[in-house]
Amino acid sequence: MEGSSEPLLDAKAEVTNQLLDFQWKLGMAVSLDSCRSLKYPKVAVTLKVGERSSQVQNKSFEMTIPPFQNFYRQFKEIAAIIETL
Amino acid sequence: MAGELESCKSLSGLLNGLAQEAFHGHPGITEELLRSQLYPEVPPEEFRPFLAKMKGILKSIASADMDFNQLEAFLTAQTKKQGGITSDQAAVISKFWKSHKTKIRESLMNQSRWDSGLRGLSWRVDSKSQSRHSAQIHTPVAIMELEIGKSGQIVAVLALWFYSCGQMGCLRGSQETKP
Repeated sequence: MEGSSEPLLDAKAEVTNQLLDFQWKLGMAVSLDSCRSLKYPKVAVTLKVGERSSQVQNKSFEMTIPPFQNFYRQFKEIAAIIETL
Repeated sequence: MAGELESCKSLSGLLNGLAQEAFHGHPGITEELLRSQLYPEVPPEEFRPFLAKMKGILKSIASADMDFNQLEAFLTAQTKKQGGITSDQAAVISKFWKSHKTKIRESLMNQSRWDSGLRGLSWRVDSKSQSRHSAQIHTPVAIMELEIGKSGQIVAVLALWFYSCGQMGCLRGSQETKP
């Protein structure tokens, strides 16, 4: 990650956003102007985040399979650690 | 001069340079850079059509996302054409596509992603021992920082927290496949 901004994850950081919902869809790219014959799966995710009473925001992003696999692997690691606590 | 262009040792480097510029989005790989680095003995006016030919071939292969059978057939046809390629050159191109195909497809997909992607992800797990709003003791909380954005522009950095499985928000999804 480019690290020019201040890190948000130091231990004292106040975290207020809560993950309220996690929506996903799995699509298939069929053709591009630069690649006419393509069958490429991709995952789109929308996170609903917000504080309890304040405005809910939607944050959406798309991943091809390698970044998605990394994303999934991170959650697995988190789950494994939480199991041990 | 034709002998220089036919020699294959520089062709691999040329294909790499072409791929960097056309697919992986690296700017500054000019015709002159490629010529001076890889084919310094060849004059520019001879190099130009050669480069165009190789670029055309590479783009055709990438555009059709050729499998190995299609690639064979295509390259064989190119060797039989007037002003086409030699069979040695065909072998270099074939080897190049086989080893770079996956990366090139991935780059093409990323280039055509017009919405945000996930640029970075980091996380930590805390153990919350008390909370003003609830009576939970020793609840593990995962805190995740996501950098979401389009290329060259971060549109959101989210730090979000979620409790371990039993307390996570509801999960729904929809699945969509295009014909």
